[in-house]
Amino acid sequence: MIRIDSITIKEFRGIRDLTLDFEGKSFAICGPNGTGKSGIVDAIEFALTGIVSRLSGEGSGDLSLKGHGPHVDSRNAPDKAQVSVKVTIPSLGKTVTVERSVKVPSPPRVTPSDPAVLAVLGQVESHPEIVLSRRELIRYVLATPGKRAEEVQALLHLDQVEQVRTGLKKIANACEKQLSGLNGPVTEARANLLRALGITELTKDKVLAAANAQRAILGLPGLTELGDATSLKDGLATPGPAHPRHSSKSQALADIRAAREALAEIVGVTTTACVAEVEADVRALASDPTVATGVAQDDFYAAGMGLIANDACPFCDTPWDLDDLRAHVQTKIEHLEGISRKREAAEAKIAPLVVLLRKNQSALDLLVRYGPLAKPPLTLRVVRDYIEQCAANAATLEALLPLADTIAALAAMSTIPEAVLEEVAKVEGAVSGFPEPTRQDSARDSLAVAQERLEVYRSAMRQQKTAREQAQRARQVSDIYAATSDKVLAGIYTDVQRDFASLYSFVNRDDEDKFKAQLVPSMGKLGFDVDFYGRGFFPPGAYHSEGHQDSMGLCLYLALMRHLYGAGFTLAVLDDVLMSVDAGHRREVCALLKKEFPGTQFIMTTHDPIWLQHLKTEGLVSGRAAIKFRRWSIDLGPARWDERDVWAEIEDRLKQDDVRSAAGFLRHYLEYVATELCHRLRAVVEFRGDAQYQLGELLPAAIRQMRKLYSLAKDSANSWGHQELVADLSVRESNFVSLAAVSKAEQWQVNVAVHFNSWENLGAKDFTPVAKAFRDLLGGFSCSHCGEFFRATPERETFDSMRCDCGKTNMNLLKKK
Amino acid sequence: MPPSPAIGGASEVPTQVFERFLEALSATDIPAEVVARLRKTLVEDKTFTDRALKAAVLSEEPLP
Repeated sequence: MIRIDSITIKEFRGIRDLTLDFEGKSFAICGPNGTGKSGIVDAIEFALTGIVSRLSGEGSGDLSLKGHGPHVDSRNAPDKAQVSVKVTIPSLGKTVTVERSVKVPSPPRVTPSDPAVLAVLGQVESHPEIVLSRRELIRYVLATPGKRAEEVQALLHLDQVEQVRTGLKKIANACEKQLSGLNGPVTEARANLLRALGITELTKDKVLAAANAQRAILGLPGLTELGDATSLKDGLATPGPAHPRHSSKSQALADIRAAREALAEIVGVTTTACVAEVEADVRALASDPTVATGVAQDDFYAAGMGLIANDACPFCDTPWDLDDLRAHVQTKIEHLEGISRKREAAEAKIAPLVVLLRKNQSALDLLVRYGPLAKPPLTLRVVRDYIEQCAANAATLEALLPLADTIAALAAMSTIPEAVLEEVAKVEGAVSGFPEPTRQDSARDSLAVAQERLEVYRSAMRQQKTAREQAQRARQVSDIYAATSDKVLAGIYTDVQRDFASLYSFVNRDDEDKFKAQLVPSMGKLGFDVDFYGRGFFPPGAYHSEGHQDSMGLCLYLALMRHLYGAGFTLAVLDDVLMSVDAGHRREVCALLKKEFPGTQFIMTTHDPIWLQHLKTEGLVSGRAAIKFRRWSIDLGPARWDERDVWAEIEDRLKQDDVRSAAGFLRHYLEYVATELCHRLRAVVEFRGDAQYQLGELLPAAIRQMRKLYSLAKDSANSWGHQELVADLSVRESNFVSLAAVSKAEQWQVNVAVHFNSWENLGAKDFTPVAKAFRDLLGGFSCSHCGEFFRATPERETFDSMRCDCGKTNMNLLKKK
Repeated sequence: MPPSPAIGGASEVPTQVFERFLEALSATDIPAEVVARLRKTLVEDKTFTDRALKAAVLSEEPLP
């Protein structure tokens, strides 16, 4: 996968022109609601995938990338809306630039471009889940089992696995159906052959005996073997004009008899009773209005179950009881399952009727061959029409739906038109009038007909054999695929479940260190139950708090991504995903991400500065790998707290003699930075339950703490006998004290007159030294090399050092024992 | 908390499934040419239509 080095966003969403340097490291974006954080997330997603899911995903309504991707002032100029990311591909050791514009989102312009680079970017593009918002996160946790399976399947690209499973199963079913359809022709061919040979059992001996009896009449040698290529009429001269082929009279009469028997069977008592029973079943099915649209309704109800999430109908807003509605829909689904069973029962009863119709069709097919031999020839149009009707009825019965057609076909099959019987009688009469053939002619014709029917039988058997082999192969392939994919997926779910539980336990180790979870795949659904303090397994939403559910969502996502990418999980963009998680557990999430995913670049947004603080103090993001948006304007987009920009902006405002604005700006910045300093230095501030600390409380506390730390550092250096260091620390401390004195910051608590409220009444000339004093003071809290504020460590218990992020400053605070 | 050793993620899940499937198929009496055709369809061409699968399983010969 990739890491993002930097991003440049122009006229995109709420951003006019913004460049952020991530340097391939984890990065945090903090700011109040509406300051443009999510615009950056959208831009990253767009640059990497060409889409913005909040403009195209579920619930996006009339929104579109083209229409709403550009900044509102550039909505008619999508070419101006551009995002460019510089990414590193660790596996290739390459850095490339990917550029897209809303006007032409795909393909992106990739520089430099080569097939290997495009392959990696193509993989990223096919995995938009690298960008995750809370809305998407919670889908993994609170979704219904069917919906969750879809989400997880989409993440793991299991749609392809399922598509193949369905395809192979369909092929196996089709092959078996085809095989079943070949049973009738084999039975018919066998019966015709037996009739032609005048035998009742199809054994090699009996076939040879019957054929040899005819061959003996013709003086032909007897056959000793009946192989695949044996011809019963072997040695028999092909009939020429002198000996025209005419059908055996006795054979013809036997075939006509067989046709009459088939016709009689179809209107016989047994068949009629069977037809009546099936017709009653089918009529019962038809009387249920849900049957005709059963399949479609089944899908509809299943989809509906997934949408029952709110307290009211999404169409008409009529309130409903969720549990009652779910039970109601479930009843309908079960009702459809009952119908499905009835349908299968009806199909089983219909199958023998289809065989009868095919038998009738086959017997009459033989009969009509004798029509042209009659004098004058008989066209047998009615019989031919009836054959077609039998074929059509058989097809209708096999299809079952529409039920009305099946009922009509059942009614039709019980009646044989009188004209059919009349034509059969005509053929019979004509055949009876055929002259009696000589013994030799009869033997010759019998052998010819028997051979012809033997070939039909062989062909039918070959077809059946091939179809059987194909059906067996298709079923075997389908079964092996199902078993293998189940095993692989079960393994995946077991791994993910174990990893998920492990990650979640880490975050909640204070009270759920023995947490367990169950991911249970079943029939295309994915059940997800979690342990609740050893009292059993329940759906995540049953007893766990919203905050716990949020962290479950994140942990499940991380477990899935780790499984999916392994070491290739190098980038995740998390958009305000832990808004419901309390501060303590967020800190644990930071620790988790740092410990478990050291190779992953996390780009995170949050509206909560405390969460940003946690990200920094846990070392997930370094001091500079974060921005804090302070406001957003439609003309300028997001504005951030950046130290370099802060002093430049104050200077600009003072040049314009706008002291009021410069003073307000300095105050806001000092509030932000004083909070940071107190946190880093572990300054003591009077506790406030509402966490609403004033600048006058924070900055003096930070100054006092800094002095205390210098004092501790000097004591430590003294105890170790490092006198040069003591002298150096004394100079530093003295300088810092001077800077604090110039700023008069410590006087705020006791002297409101010099409080910042009075600044706005100063002139530009008077305020300039005030701003400079604070700028210098903040410099006193910082490392002269990296510019980062000092930090007292560890975060809890006894101090052992004061250091900066780059490590150039590292003051020991522990005395020699 | 070491990551599960089974968590490798070296390849996409469908590819893992297809490879294991073809491996299992090779150990049966299914003709080698069927396995080869399925490998081409699933792993190389990445075509998952019913038609392509049918051609791979039953070969291109006309049905009886």
